[in-house]
Amino acid sequence: MKKMNQNKFILLFLFISFNLFNNTLTAQNDSVKPENVVRLHYFNINGKMQYLVLESLLKNGRVFTPHSKMTYEIYLDSAAQKNLVSSVTTDEEGKGKAFIPPALKSIWDASSQHTFIVKQGDEEVLSDYTITKAKITIDTSTVDGVKNITATVMDLKNSEWVPISDVEMRVGIKRLVGIVSAGDEPTYTTDSTGSVTVELKKDSMPGDQKGNLVLAVKIQDNDEIGNLLMEKTVPWGKVTEHNTTFFEQRTLWSTRFKTPYWLLFTVYSIAIGIWGTLIYLVFRIIKIGKLGKQFAMINGSDEPDDI
Amino acid sequence: MEKSTSISTLTSDQITRDLLPQKFGKRGMIWTGILIVVSLFGLFAYARQLRYGLIVTHMRDYVSWGIYISNFVFFVAISLVGSLITAIFRLTNVKWRTPITRIAEIIAVSNIVFAALIIVVDMGRPERFMNLVLHGRIQSPILWDVIVISTYFFISILLLYFPLLPDLKILLKFKKQTGKRLNKLYRFQGSFWKGTKEQMHISDRSISILCIVIIPVAFMIHTVTSWLFATTYRPGWDSTNFGAYFISGAFLAGAGAVAVAMYVFRKAYKLEKYITDMHFERMGRIVVMLALVYLYFNVNEFLTPAFKMKESERSLILQLFVGSYAPMFWFAILVGMIIPIIILVFKKGRRPLPMFIVGIMVVVGAWFKRYIIVTPTLLHPFLPMQNVPENFKYYFPSWEEWAIAGGSLAGALLVITFFARIYPIIPIQETIDEQNELNEKNEKDESK
Repeated sequence: MKKMNQNKFILLFLFISFNLFNNTLTAQNDSVKPENVVRLHYFNINGKMQYLVLESLLKNGRVFTPHSKMTYEIYLDSAAQKNLVSSVTTDEEGKGKAFIPPALKSIWDASSQHTFIVKQGDEEVLSDYTITKAKITIDTSTVDGVKNITATVMDLKNSEWVPISDVEMRVGIKRLVGIVSAGDEPTYTTDSTGSVTVELKKDSMPGDQKGNLVLAVKIQDNDEIGNLLMEKTVPWGKVTEHNTTFFEQRTLWSTRFKTPYWLLFTVYSIAIGIWGTLIYLVFRIIKIGKLGKQFAMINGSDEPDDI
Repeated sequence: MEKSTSISTLTSDQITRDLLPQKFGKRGMIWTGILIVVSLFGLFAYARQLRYGLIVTHMRDYVSWGIYISNFVFFVAISLVGSLITAIFRLTNVKWRTPITRIAEIIAVSNIVFAALIIVVDMGRPERFMNLVLHGRIQSPILWDVIVISTYFFISILLLYFPLLPDLKILLKFKKQTGKRLNKLYRFQGSFWKGTKEQMHISDRSISILCIVIIPVAFMIHTVTSWLFATTYRPGWDSTNFGAYFISGAFLAGAGAVAVAMYVFRKAYKLEKYITDMHFERMGRIVVMLALVYLYFNVNEFLTPAFKMKESERSLILQLFVGSYAPMFWFAILVGMIIPIIILVFKKGRRPLPMFIVGIMVVVGAWFKRYIIVTPTLLHPFLPMQNVPENFKYYFPSWEEWAIAGGSLAGALLVITFFARIYPIIPIQETIDEQNELNEKNEKDESK
């Protein structure tokens, strides 16, 4: 019995100790200040439009949450005022977008590699985001009825375009919400010539009214060259005929010139029925008036009678 | 019986003199003055809205139907009482209705006028109203509403005018009391009425036709108004119950308004011999029945979505039941329905003063109920409110909106007040005819 009591005390002691220890740990965790993490992403769309997306996150342990309404300045190569790309404020997703302005064209053209610097007030929060100018070319060929897409990735080195190997990319057909892979693989990697050739397996994709499809090659978050997208229109799709009869239907959602007959009949019959009755009653008032005048003429007085 | 004993002792001459329109007394002048000031203030606020646009209101992208549309639904609801008292009671041969028919009809007319006006106010650009006529789609319930409101207005005017003709003839005889200007007006409106048999026949037949026509139109007007909401896919409005729910609520609100007006006119014009305790007793029974029916439809409207708690409806229902709209929601239910029912089930509750208080409770509850129907739903769209300015996410009317809404309510009361100043608020000829019928019946009974 005594031993049992002893065990009870030991268990109680362990329980309390564990809780205290655990609470201390929790308190320590709580006291850790969340860290502000800033990321940059460079985008080049069809070789024509370059922009940056800044992502601001709050790191709390292993959890990242968007940091909204934060303002940052992005600089190109140097944190001088003349190199300011843009000042961005993050949205609810903790993201802000900045386009490289035409004023920085001379700096942009001067080098094949650029570093972006992010400052928050006077504090430099990112200084090592470097990208190399790169481009994608798309070539197409048809051999024995087989359609092939060849995508080549090159970066600029000493004013010359040099193929890059081992770049992962998506090669496919642009649809409304994304890119459908042209072949069987979801992604492809360039060979030593910087190229990848994909056979178009999805041969019966619906195109536009002329049968055009938009081929798309997309590189996502590459450490060297960022995010690149290149598109090319080819007449490889099935011609889509627009069903214009949809808009010619007489429906509740069509224009006023296409009102359903049943509705026209219902509304007009009710309106004519009721307003016809009301017009009849207005004529009844006129009739009452005429009868009153006749009465006055016969009785020789227009004055009302006594009660 | 109470009425017959009090009126049967009166002569036709006494009835006429009692029921002739009277000049405003001191209290009448103050009342009218207050209404004019409130209306003018509303006009001033509307002028500001015209000058600066709808930005002076607090309606934004989500709450695009605010207090104006609540007011519109309220006006349409009150106006429905014209069809209840005048048409349904007449067709069902309810004898005691006579002293309250004209009260009900003028309430209907004044409210339907301001229902139409408040819609134009809500449009922001009144000149664009013509676009509804020029480019309107008959598929849209809004156009149905425009058609039905104008039809109901015209029927109500006719229903007010036909029974007024015999009274105009009487009024013409009291030129000294009514004054030259009013006499001119009476002459213009009804000098042709001689009370001949043929005229009477046409008038009676026309009133019967109007009573038949007004009932489906009245049902249509409020059903279509409910469809403005129910055909819009939103939590709280996506209901097949809405037509019946709106109509039952409208009858209750209108009956409450009539009870208030009965008491006020009885007091102001000393009409105790005409609007008797019996009228309040009967009206009380009608109000309690209508309140029970409306309560039933409310249970229908909220029980099933609350039982299922579908994700889309959940936040709205919780806001109404226990959230920020709960005080207003429960106020509308308790003050607009449950407390009136409790008071009116007792005979003492159906006496004039309690009826007056209950009438006010019903009307005030009805106004807040319309606000509850319109605004909270708009603040709970199916898609979450994202990337919008903070003031899009809540709604409280601006002072301009309150002033315009208040001005429109005062305007409706002003129309009723001026009508009662110009015309007899209780039909004179009909009261005399009823008394004569009663006297004849009494004489026959005595001779037997």
